[in-house]
Formats: sequence, structure tokens, C-alpha cells
Amino acid sequence: MIAHVAQSGEDRGRVLIQIRSRHPSAIALEAAVHIARAFGSDLESLFVEDAQLFDCAAYGFVREVSLSGRQTRPLSLDTMMRDLHLAAQGTRRQLEALARKAEVPLRCRVVRDEPLRALTIACAELGPWNVVTLGEPFAGGNSLLFKQMLSEVSGTTGIVTVGPRALRVSGPVIVAVEDMAELSDMLRTAERVAAVDGAEVVLLLVGPGEGDLERMEGETRLVVEDRERVRIELAAVAHGADAHMAETLRKLGGGMVICRFGGLVVPDEGDLRPLAAALECPLFLVRPDGPGAPPPPSSSPGRPEVSKSDF
Amino acid sequence: MFFKRSHPGESAVVTNRSADHAETGGDETPTVAARPRPLEASELRHVVNPSSLGFSTTDDLSPINGLIGQERALKAIQFGADIKSHDFNMFVLGPPASGKTTAVKAHLGPKAAEGPVPPDWVYVYNFENPNRPKALQLPSGRARQLSKGMIAALDELRGVLPVRFESEDYQTRRRAIDEQFRSGNEEALDALSKKAQAQNIALLRTPTGFAMAPMHEGKVVKPEVFNALPEAMRRDVEHKIAALEKELAAILERLPATEKRRRQQLSELNEEVATSAIREALVELHASFSDVPEAAAYLEAAGQDMVRNVGLFLATGDEENAIVRRPTDSAQDPRFRRYLVNIMASNGGSGATGAPVIEEINPTYGNVVGRVEHLAQMGTLVTDFLLIKPGALHKANGGYLLVDARRLLLSPFAWEALKRAIKARQIRIEQPTEVSGVVSTQTLDPEPIPLDVKLVLFGDRELYYLLAANDPDFPRLFKVQADFDDTIARSSANDNAYARLIASVVKEHGLKPLDASAVARVIDEGARLAEDREKLSIELGRISDIVREADYWSSQAKRKVTSREHVARAIEEQLQRADRLRDRAQETITRGIVLVDTEGAAVGRINGLSVVQLGTFAFGRPSRITARVRVGSGRVTDIEREAKLGGPLHSKGVMILWGFLAGRYALDLPLALAATLVFEQSYGGVDGDSASSAELYALLSALSEVPIKQSLAVTGSVNQQGEVQAIGGVNEKIEGFFDVCRARGLKGEQGVLIPRSNVQHLMLREDVVEAVKDGRFAIYAVKTIDEGIEILTGVKAGERGPAGPFAPGTINRRVEDKLKSFAERGRSVAKSAGDDSEGSTEF
Repeated sequence: MIAHVAQSGEDRGRVLIQIRSRHPSAIALEAAVHIARAFGSDLESLFVEDAQLFDCAAYGFVREVSLSGRQTRPLSLDTMMRDLHLAAQGTRRQLEALARKAEVPLRCRVVRDEPLRALTIACAELGPWNVVTLGEPFAGGNSLLFKQMLSEVSGTTGIVTVGPRALRVSGPVIVAVEDMAELSDMLRTAERVAAVDGAEVVLLLVGPGEGDLERMEGETRLVVEDRERVRIELAAVAHGADAHMAETLRKLGGGMVICRFGGLVVPDEGDLRPLAAALECPLFLVRPDGPGAPPPPSSSPGRPEVSKSDF
Repeated sequence: MFFKRSHPGESAVVTNRSADHAETGGDETPTVAARPRPLEASELRHVVNPSSLGFSTTDDLSPINGLIGQERALKAIQFGADIKSHDFNMFVLGPPASGKTTAVKAHLGPKAAEGPVPPDWVYVYNFENPNRPKALQLPSGRARQLSKGMIAALDELRGVLPVRFESEDYQTRRRAIDEQFRSGNEEALDALSKKAQAQNIALLRTPTGFAMAPMHEGKVVKPEVFNALPEAMRRDVEHKIAALEKELAAILERLPATEKRRRQQLSELNEEVATSAIREALVELHASFSDVPEAAAYLEAAGQDMVRNVGLFLATGDEENAIVRRPTDSAQDPRFRRYLVNIMASNGGSGATGAPVIEEINPTYGNVVGRVEHLAQMGTLVTDFLLIKPGALHKANGGYLLVDARRLLLSPFAWEALKRAIKARQIRIEQPTEVSGVVSTQTLDPEPIPLDVKLVLFGDRELYYLLAANDPDFPRLFKVQADFDDTIARSSANDNAYARLIASVVKEHGLKPLDASAVARVIDEGARLAEDREKLSIELGRISDIVREADYWSSQAKRKVTSREHVARAIEEQLQRADRLRDRAQETITRGIVLVDTEGAAVGRINGLSVVQLGTFAFGRPSRITARVRVGSGRVTDIEREAKLGGPLHSKGVMILWGFLAGRYALDLPLALAATLVFEQSYGGVDGDSASSAELYALLSALSEVPIKQSLAVTGSVNQQGEVQAIGGVNEKIEGFFDVCRARGLKGEQGVLIPRSNVQHLMLREDVVEAVKDGRFAIYAVKTIDEGIEILTGVKAGERGPAGPFAPGTINRRVEDKLKSFAERGRSVAKSAGDDSEGSTEF
């Protein structure tokens, strides 16, 4: 969706929020509702009960260690089901409140499957233009997970994720532009997201050197013309300067950062921990187009086991 | 006939009287040989001769700055201002509008200007005990410096601190700490996960914790597959999982402690960054107040608190979005209230010098000692040290405080609070409800501020003596009494000083000048206000009113100089505005609704005079007094008292009559008299003894059966010796009867009897004086009852001869004879009654 929706002229798309068995980030939920509202799309909540947890619970000798490490208790299927049911209900209530406030149509469902497989199936069912929001914050590490998602989940046009320090969804929408060919689409996308609360758009031109940036700025000004709510910032970043890029984004203090996955800002094979530690707003990763883009999956997986009917 | 001139009706009176006498005893009536001499017109009003004043207009005079004739009071004020003791406060007593406040201010002003400038006082936040705001004493003029300095520091920190905490340096160090601990935790969990994987054990995250299960090729082994494994292998896996669970629990248990260390390191980093910025912001203020240890200590505490609460200065989350709505002035930002300074007393600002002289015109509890105000927030009342409002004591501390005593006493709690403050020599702000113990809600308890003030109370004499008699604290705390006189003695020098006083009124109000005739007329009115022609009233307010109103009438007449006629018009208009009730009272008399005769004669009936006081306006009104006598057990019944309309002074006057009658006429026989006295058509209260001589005349007339001329009215009190004594309001009383007589036509026989000792108080209206001059009205001054009764009846009072009895036919003889006859009749009645029933007889 988003860039792709805008590019294709399609007005509507879908936002799918995947929630795994743990408690989701409130900012991730807000971000999903925000984007759905910006594009007038439906919001699909997918609560995934990891099937492996039930296998695990079937063992009589397995004990659950609490998060504090102070208590342990025997696991059972009943306990597991009850805990997951409560977690799903809590998340649903939270989302319903946000969606009602934003007047966004919401559909919630619970599936019992392996998480990535469940996501792939859901996207395949919903159609080609999906933005997947990850309910749980990403702690950093390498970007293999995103790469895997974009490559295996064919209906995904972008991934929204939040770091552990995420605080807000409101504020300027920061668009990191690395390729001038993407400028118009990215700007249009950002303007739609910013229009929800009248926020400013910050076009962060990212290039390897000053010369590149000067050229990009000139071209950008032609595109931006006299838009009052658009500001241009420049950032010269070399490959491997992840911490510097993360600090630049943090300082801009945005309400959302939109960037292409696999570029200078979020490389497809890099350490994302600086970014996770610095970002105070959601990160919207757009699927790269053209050469180097992750190939779509060759075949769609089988239908997951649905533990409950849609609700 | 004792009048030289013959008047119609008088002969009839004498004839009737003769007939009466023939009936009662047949004695020859000894009439008064010559008409008693009424007072001359010149004795009725002391008029200033304008030419004697020695100036043309008030422009020729130098105004007087201050008062005249108040040397005693001014000396007391001087003493009170000079003496250095907290309990030598002043009470300035005197009539209203006598210029007391002006005089005190004029006197204290220069004195205060020479005094030292008192220190400033502020309340600041108490970082150790927020409910007890800290009072700081600062050198004069430094309170505003501290207040502004704190606001400037806050302004600076609002800008600097977010930048410091946003800086790359800070963020890098912070992330390093975060990463150090996060990666430590993650690494421990990762290591455990890898260790588990190496043993084919999966580490899974459940909704509420972690769990481990057998794994094969990255997936949890199905239980049925696992159960198919050999027993020994299964046991081995179970042991491995149990061991790993213990390790996992140990790692997770360490997390809080790790998190605590992380927070501690972050706090230290924050403190380091904040401290340097805060120290830089406060360094100038610290240097400025290094000479004031208390202020320096406060700044140190404030700086430490800022470091602890540095988050106040950093916009986060929604606050960041609200930044445009946040006040740009730190003084208005609720986050920083605790660092602001509440100035309670600021002296020496704007080049001011000397000690303050403060007048509190609305001395409520809060306005005197200060108060703690509250703000309504979400349905509750909240307060803080910035809502402490200073009272007059704070503003006057180190100087003088001027307060009207009556207003102070009328304000609940204010008087007691003021006394407490003076006694304790400190200002302690408490809620009035707290003081009374009615409500005990938690509120602020600000530190008391030492008090050094000279208190000046203003009030009338009655209030002073009431306080002195009823409040034991009062004499101990107000040891200086400055008593302002209401009048000054009349002399040419004082007349001249009075003229200068008038000139100062003219100058103060920017009026047109008064010529000498106008000034003379004002002086005459001053004597009238003093109710004494030998005195002048120094009620500045009244004098000022007359002069300003005269200026108005002068302007109406398009005159450049105010003259006598304008002053007279002003006085006349003042009276007209106020005399609706007087007109109504006179109308009831002239229309015969209230019975007052002004001609003819009658036994046991006389015209008494009373004064009605309506605010500042007083007028006289004649009243008919009647007396009836009969045989009785010796009692004069005052009907006013019996009806509870008579006041104690009136009752006293009536009792004196009894003493007079018994002493003069019944030394050796019982006074078998029953008499009743009444003010006819009087429906309100009667008090005072000024009608006692009139009542005695009526009684004597009733006993002697000699009629009293109704063309005369009487005022004056009497003692047991029969001497007529001075009374108040003599001018109004004479004028009241004069107005009634004039309305019916002045015939020359009408007049008023007044005590001789009241002649010095006469300042009668000019029309009364003119009537006397023309012989149309008369004022008689009498010293004794005998003099009075002769004028009233035309019959000699009579004196005792060598043999004892009074001369035959005289009033006294007739009275004595009547009382003897009453006594004999009483004895015979008692005897016959005793014979019949052996009981006592009541007459």
C-alpha cells in the first residue's frame, strides 16, 4: 500500500496489525490506526497464537518461568488457552477504543499458526496492498526479520514497527528520500499521513556526500514548490554510519519516519540496534521497487488453523 | 400687668387669674413690678467684623499647613512617633472630620522619610517542608532582584536544559548505558537460548513468561513423538530442561537489579548534565546574594531541587505538542511555581527612601495580617506559597500603620489578630477559620515574619474609653493617647488662623478666593457649629463643605470672588436639603395637630423645648408639658418613665423636682402630694434633663394655681436648690420655638427662657437676632426657678420672711399653703381610714 497505492492511484488499501502472544506496544496500535485513517482503509487485527506454545504446554514436565524469574508454574493446555484468550481480548478492547475514536473500520481475528505463515496467509487473503504493522517492538539486532517478511509475505507493501523507546505518533512526518525517483510518491504518502493531524512533512534528503545532497535539494525544491507545510533537511550518510543516522532521525523529533527498506537509513543487512534505541516514533519501512527488491514468494502457503471464528 | 406694652389678651389672662386666686384663697396677688430685661440682640450672636480680619481676600493669606489649636495632640503624636517601644502605639481620638488623619500623616511623613528603609521580605518554597513556606529577609530593594533573577534563570534553563539533554553527547552516553545493560540482558538470554538450542531445547515466550520444550530442527517436538522416545532419553531431556529453567530464572531475577543499576547510572548522568547547566544559570544570582546567607542557602536548595526535578524542564510526549500553548513567561508556567519568589514587602524601590507610612482603609483580617488564597481546580481548592498575600502589617513593617479603629473592630477577627501580632512582634498568617478552631483543613503554615511597626489607630472618644474599659490588652499596647480637640478658643489671633485655614481649603481644592465678609461668615458658622460663641469648631470636613458649596453658588452667580451672601446661601441650602422633617414637625404644630399654644395662659401647662438630632442636622421642637396634682402619699409620677419612654437622665431630673419641693416647702410636714408630669403628644423616647425646669414650673403652676404664659417656652435643667443649669442645643431650641411663633405671627410677647449659663453659647440665626432687635421676640436668661416663675406668671415668687412663711400671695406661699392643706387632708383621710380598717391608705 501507501507508496504503491499512491503510485497506482488506488484510494484504499488495508492495514494489518499482527499481534503475537505477548502484550503489544500501545504506540504500534496507534500507528496502525493512524495509517488506516490517513488512507481511509480498514484495519485488520491478526492475533497469532503460536502453535508451538500448545505443543509445549502438552508436556507434563514443562514449567513456565515468570518474567521476574521468581515464580514457576506447570504449564497446561487449559492455562495456555486461557492466557492467550485473555491477551487477545485485552488487545481487541484496546484496538476497538482507538478505532472507534478514529472512525476506522476494524476487524479482529485470532489464528493459531506459526507467526510468519499466519501473516502470509492473511495478506494473501486480503489482496495485494497491505501494510503490516508489528505489534511487538523490535529490539534491534539485524534486519533479517524485515527482509524475510518482505520476501515471504507477498501482499506486503510496507512494514510499520516501533522501537522500545517509542513515545508518540503525533508530530512531523519524516520522509527519508534516498532516490529522487521516489520523491513524488514518498511526498504524497507523507502528506496523506500528515494530513490526519495537520502535521508538518520533513523531507530528509539522504545521500552519501554533500554534492549529491545539493543536487537532490535543488530537484526537491522544484517538486515541493511553495508547499508551506513541507520542510527540507539534509543528511550526508555513508554506509555503516547507523548510529549517526539514528541520531539525526531522533533529533528531528517526528511522529513517524517513512523510509525505503534496504537503503542508507535501514540497510537490508545491518545492525538496527542504534535505530531501535534512538527512535521515539514508529518506523514505516516501504518495500523497495526495482532491482534488488525482494522477490515475491513463489507459492502461497496452506491455510492456517483458525482457532476461533472471526470476531 | 408687668409688661410695659399692653397686648391684647393679656388683660383677660390677668383677670382670669385674679378670679382664680379669689376662689382659692382670696389673697392679694403681688405682681412683678417691672418687666424683666430680656437679652440684648448683641448678646445673641458673636459676629466677626470683616474689616477686623485685615485682608481683602484669601489670596492675601498664606495657607496653614496642618492644624490649629491642637498642640496637645501634636505633642502626643510627636512623642508616640519618637519612642522606640513596640507597646507605645498611638490612639488618636477626636471627632470625625477633624483632620486627625491628615495631621498624623503630615507629622509622620517627614519623620518616616528620615528613618531607615526597612528590609524586604519574601516567601519562597520550602524544599524540606512544602507546607511551611520559608520567609527570607533581604536587604531593602533586593526582593525584586531575587524574583527577577529566578525568573531569568528559569527562562534560561527552559532553553538550555532541553538542548543539553538533546545533545549528541548526552544521547550517546545515555544510549551507551542503555545498550550496556540491555545487551547484557539480551546477551544472557541469547546465551541461554543458544545453550538450550545446542541441547535441542527451545526457549519460547508465553503470554506471561518463558517456557522450554524439546526441539528438533528448530521446531518444538510434538508430545506424541517425544513420548515415543526411550525412557532414558526422555529423562535426560527433562533434566536438561529443569536445569535450564533454573538458569533462566536466575537470569530473570537479576534483571530488576540490573535495571536499578541502569537507572542509577542514568540518574548520575542526568545529574551531571543538569548540574552544570543549572549552576551556570544560577551563578550570577549566587554571586549577587553571597552577602545574604539565607538567600544563598535558598539558591543552593533551589538548584539541587532543579537537578532532582530536571524533567520539569524537558518537554516529553504530549507536552511537546502543547508547547505552543505553554506560557512563554516562566513566571506563568505552573511547572516552575516552586522556584518563583513571592514578594511580601519591597522597600526602597523606585528611589523610595525612609520608612513606610501605610494607611489601611479596609482593615479586614486578611488585609491586615495577610491571607492564604486558594484556587479552584477540578472541584477542589488548592494553594501554594505564591498565593500568600501580604497584609498591611507586611507593607508597614519597619514604619507606621494607620487604621480606623471602628472599621477594625467591625471586621471579624481583625482586632484580635492585630493585637496578637503586636504582642508577639511577628506576623503569623493563619486562616480565620483556623484561628477560631472551626475548620481544621490542612493548609499552609508560613514561617512568621518579625514585626516592627508603630500602629496608629483613629477613633472617637467613646470608642477609646470603651476599649480602655473593656479590653485589658488595649492600655498595655496603646500607651500614647493623642486627643484632638473639637474646638478652639475664640480670639482675634485664632480668627486670623481660622481664616488661613479657610485659605488652605481654597488652595487645596482650587476654589475661587473668599473675601473677608465670606471668611467672617464662615467663622461665625464655625462658632455656631461649636455651639459656643467663645469657641470655633475645627471640624475641617464641615468647614470645607461650606467653603466648597459657597464656591459653587459663587460660580452660579458668575462671580470671581466668593462673598458673604454665597456662604450664607450655602449654609441655607444645606439646611433646606436636610430639614424636611423639621418642616413636617412645624407643620403639625401650626395646623394644631400637635397642641402647642403660643398665646394665652394656663395652669399646670408649659412649653418645653427639645432637640431632634438627624445625622449632622439638629433642630428644636416645642412640646407641651403638663402637670396635675392631688392629695397623695408623696410621689411625683413621671408618666414618660412609667410608660418606659423616659430615659434615665429624664427620670433623674424628675426626681430632683421631688427633692426641691420637699426641701423648700415641706421641711416640717409630710409631703402628701401626688403629681403627674407628662410630655403631651410625645410618642418616642425622651431623655435628658433639659426639661426639668419646665416640669418644675408646670408643677408650681399646678400647685399655686397661677397660670403660665403660653407665649413663652422654657429650657434648662434644675438642681435641688432651685438653680437653673446649662443645657445643650440652646440655639436650636430657641430657633425651634421662634419658627413656630413666627409662623403664627410674632407679637412681641413671645420668647424663651434659658439658663443664664447658656448665654455664652448663643449663636442664633440672624433672623432671630433681628426679631429680638425689633422687640418682636425675647430671650430671657434666668439663674433660678424663682426668676423664671416670675417671668412665666408675672407673679412674685416670694421669699420667706423672718417669721418663716413666704409673703402672702406669692407663688411660693401659694404652693406651701397647698401642700399644707394636702398634708392636713391626708392626715384626716388616713385617720378615718385607720379607724375603719386599721390598714394603710394609698392615695
